[in-house]
Formats: sequence, structure tokens, C-alpha cells
Amino acid sequence: MKRKRIVGNAVKNGLLALYAIFALFPLFWMVLISFKSDAQMFNTTFIFDPTLENYDAVLLRTDYFKYFLDSIIVSVVAVLISVLAGVPAAYALARYNFKKKESLAFTILSFRFAPEILVVLPLFMIYQKIGLYDTYFGLIWVYQLITMPLLIWVIRGYFEDISVEIEHAAQVDGYSWWQVFLKRLLPLIKPGLVSASLLAFIFAWNNFTFPLMLSGTHVETITVASLKYIASDTVHYGQMAVAATVSALPAVIFALLIQKHLVRGLSFGAVKG
Amino acid sequence: MSKLIIKNLYKRYENKGKKKTQPNDFAVNDLSLECEDGEFIGILGPSGCGKTTTLRMIAGLEDITAGDIYIGDQRVNDLHPKNRNIGLAFEDYALYPPLTVYDNIAFNLKAKGVSKDEIKQRVMDIAPLLKVEDLLDKMPISLSGGQKQRVNIARAIVRRPGILLLDEPLSHLDGKMRQALRIEIKRLHNEIKCTTVYVTHDQLEAMSLADRIAIMNLGVLQQFGTPMEVYDDPANEFVAGFIGEPPMNILKTTIIKHENDYYFTFENSDLRIIAPRRYYDLLSDGMQVKMGVRPTDIYVGGPDSKGTPVRVAVYEDLCSERRIGVRVGDELVMMITEDDTRYRQGEMIKLEVNGEKTHLFDLNTGNRIRSKK
Repeated sequence: MKRKRIVGNAVKNGLLALYAIFALFPLFWMVLISFKSDAQMFNTTFIFDPTLENYDAVLLRTDYFKYFLDSIIVSVVAVLISVLAGVPAAYALARYNFKKKESLAFTILSFRFAPEILVVLPLFMIYQKIGLYDTYFGLIWVYQLITMPLLIWVIRGYFEDISVEIEHAAQVDGYSWWQVFLKRLLPLIKPGLVSASLLAFIFAWNNFTFPLMLSGTHVETITVASLKYIASDTVHYGQMAVAATVSALPAVIFALLIQKHLVRGLSFGAVKG
Repeated sequence: MSKLIIKNLYKRYENKGKKKTQPNDFAVNDLSLECEDGEFIGILGPSGCGKTTTLRMIAGLEDITAGDIYIGDQRVNDLHPKNRNIGLAFEDYALYPPLTVYDNIAFNLKAKGVSKDEIKQRVMDIAPLLKVEDLLDKMPISLSGGQKQRVNIARAIVRRPGILLLDEPLSHLDGKMRQALRIEIKRLHNEIKCTTVYVTHDQLEAMSLADRIAIMNLGVLQQFGTPMEVYDDPANEFVAGFIGEPPMNILKTTIIKHENDYYFTFENSDLRIIAPRRYYDLLSDGMQVKMGVRPTDIYVGGPDSKGTPVRVAVYEDLCSERRIGVRVGDELVMMITEDDTRYRQGEMIKLEVNGEKTHLFDLNTGNRIRSKK
């Protein structure tokens, strides 16, 4: 029996390692070529003369930080608004009964099924008309299509898991409704809130279609700006790799910071027993 | 400790959900109750009868459609739950998972701003009463159901409430734990003498704990009285059928007059029971009513008995008592006997009914028909 378990574990770990290599290799490759000069790009694989030239070119000699900042502003504010509006919405969907409740919830979810490309053209025309084209607010608004459904659906599940009696107990114990919400419910949904916010942030951060079509030169996110390294005569793969590597950092850093919540948050079931 | 007075209480839920209910669908319909200081009141009824809704209105967790609730001398209709001086123990325990047992119990006092030393003093006073003193440092998730309910009740009484409300506190526990905690609750009430309202669907809990029982059905109070009263003198067919285990046998009967006596007769059965004389003024030949008789008022006759011969249809030997079911017409009639004779299914026995102990109910309304004497 014991031997069987050891073998089983070894197989399991072997498969996991294989998957890790498979999943991480593109990232590794991206970092690798960010250190290659254009000259060595195609004639070396692992052994080459590492250079910081690409980093120098991208970070210091272009407006990279401006794009980076634009991306941060748009994504972070989009997620914040989604949290502020989405958490109460999730609470309402979880706790109250009203007409067409499930239809409403499904409609919110359905924003995630529709391909962005489908709505982006009409939006483009509307945005141009009402002056939202190429503004922070315009992008933040349209990003709600991405971030809001995710937050509402994850948080709703968390609220539904919390026994309504916990709220009532706190009310009888002397809390007002707001105190119950802030001091009792928020801590319980925190794992879900944190992990859903992170996912929403990543989806917003990675979005390409909306900023490509709905913004121009004033607001330019990093996903769109990365295209600039495809010049008319040549493609600067090294510089693109630098842009991509640096732009992956915020998500990686956030994920590491909240790792504790992430596993619990995404495996659901906040309150049991 | 306070008196609790409920006057003409109504509750109607708005039709916000999917299903359209009747316009006059009251969850609680014209309920009036008065509980004395220190009394233990049981609210008993099947699920959906409005008993928990009533409790939640007393607690202030549910709006009152009409009527008044007084705690002590104060009308509490519009008070926030925290100002009603109540303690409420929830059915699902509702312990706050991130806090230890101690903090859960102490929470209410903290929210009120009681000093730390006093909180400690009061929690330590309460803990032994509910036997949770060894659990104080644990997290709720590591407790068993019975332990959680003890903590839940400790939390409700640590604030020294005027009225303690218990919402089906034993319904999620297994049989043995349920019985143990039931005794604990009785003992606790004897010690703290707090006015208590206990909601349950289990008539055994209500009968064993409560000083007086309010029996509800479909939002309407059926009867309010001591366990003895509701058992011996049920107000209607519902109460008669709800109280007692097994419940009262209730049979449709046709009255016939033979010579100068009235008899209960039953369709497709030879059984005849002589009606008590006190009912004679009310009875007439051919009248149809419902007759109720407790399983303990039916006996197996001896060899010389003039009882009606019937076949044993169901036989349960519970060792301390024996339950025999026989067919009267299409109905199964249960009786309880404590004598040691054992029976087999299909065996013939002679059925004797103590006619004096029968109750009559109106065929349509189910209301009790009482003799005038």
C-alpha cells in the first residue's frame, strides 16, 4: 500500500512538473529574448551575449512609463468602481427577492460571453459622438463589461454562503446594518473579494480590443503600445519582449502579495459550519 | 426579566417573489399572547405556521404588518433589535467564524462598551452554566453541533436579556444530544428564571419544557394553554392531532340512537362506542361528527371482554410500551398498552374504548364540540 502511494505521488508530481514547464516556458522564453540583441535574435537559442540594450531602449528612450501609467490608471480605477458598485449588487442578488432577479443576474454574466469585437464598433461611434473617445473615463467605463460581472458573480456566491442568521445575530448584538456589512460581512467575503479583484485586474490589464479601438494618443495602454515595436521595416522582438516582461510584473507582484487569499478565494466556500 | 405581551399581531409578506400568493395570505394572523415574568412559553406548530416569523418580529428582525408587541411596559414595535433587551439563539447557531468562542460570547457586551474586566467576569459566570468553559479558546468551526448550540445560547443570555428567544435550538442535533440539551435548557431556565419563548415543531420539546404552549397553524393561534390543558382539552382537531405521540386517533363517525343511548359507529366496521352522557343534548340520530380518542384510552380486552374483535394490523414493541394498530374501516387506529402480552400481526384481539374519554369535533370546521355541562 505504502509503495503504491509513493509511486502515485511521484507520478502526480511528475505530471505537475511537466505542466509547470509547459506553462512557464513561454514566459521564460519572453524573458530570455528580452536580453538578446536584434542581431542575435534568430541565430542563437540559449547561449548568447546578454545585453540590457533593449531595456535601455524601451524604458528610457520611449514613453513606456506613460503607457504603463495609463494602463495602471485605467485598470485599477475600473476594478475599484466594480468593487464599489459590484459588492452591493452582489449582496442584493444574494439576499433580496425581486422581480426578474435571475434574468438580471444572467444579463450581467452575459456581458462576458459577447465577443468584444461585436460591441466595439458601435461603441466607437457612440464614443466619438459623446466625447468619450480617447479619455480615461471612457475606457474605465467600458472595462466595467469585463470586471463587473466577474466580481458580482464571485462575491454573490460568497454572500450566499454566509448564513443570514449571522447578520441577524450581529443586529441583535447591537450593530446597525452598516456595521454588520462592514465589520461582519466584509471580512468573511475578503478572500473572494481579493481574488476576484485580482482576476478582474488581470483581465482589464490584458485587454487589447477596447483600448485599440476606443482610445488614440491621449490614453494609450501598454497592450496597444506594444504594437509600436513592429516597425515598417523590422520587428523589434527584443524590445517587445521587454515591454511584455515589464507589463507582466504588476499582476505577478499582486498575485504574490495575496497568495494566501488566492488559493482559498478561488476554491470557494468561505464560511462552513 | 420582563413580561411579553403580543396584541393582535399580523404579518403579511409582500408578493415580491416569483409565485403569486393569495392577497390575504397572512404569515401571522391576529396573534395575541401574554407571557408572565419568568414564564417559559413554547410556540409549537408545523413548518410554515408562522412561529419563527412571530419570534423574529419579537426580536425586531422582521417588520410588523399590524399589531403591537410590548416587552416589559415598553412598546417595542419600532425599536432596533439591540434596544429591545432580548437574547436570541438561532437555529443555525450563527456563530461568527473568525472569532473564538470567548469573543463570540463577549461580542454583544463589547459592542455595548462594557469594560473588559466586566466582560470577562460575565463570560466566566455564564460559561460553566452551559458547560462551555473548556471551549472558550476554540474556533466555532472545531465545535460539534451540540457545543455550538451551547455557545449560541450562552451568547444569548450573557447580556442578561429581558426575554430569551430560542428558535428551534435542538432541531439540528442528533437524538441523544437533543435530549441532553433539552434537559440542560430546562435546568438553565430554573436557574436564571428568564422569560423564555421557545419555538419548535417538536411537540415533545414543547410539552417537556414549556409552562404554557401556544399552538399555531397557518398563521393562526389554535390554542394557548399549559401542556396538560392542550393534551386533555384540545381546542380543535388540529391541536388534538398535533399533541401526543402517537397523536390522537381521529375518526369520522355516524351517531346512531339505540334504545335510549347514542353510539358512535364507523363505516365498514363493527365497532360501536357508547357516547358519553354529557354529549346527549348535542347528539341526534344519524348525525356525522369526528371523534377523537387518545391511544392510551383504547384497551385490549381480556377473554371475557365484550369488545369488538379486530385484527392486529401493526405491532410495535418499544419494550417500555407496546403500540398496536388496528383497522377501523379504512382508518388505522393506534393504541398503547403497557401490559406484557405480546401480539403478532394478524392476531385477533378485542377492542375496548373508554367512551368517556372521547372528544368530538365538527366535521367541517374541525372545532371542538363541547358538552354544555
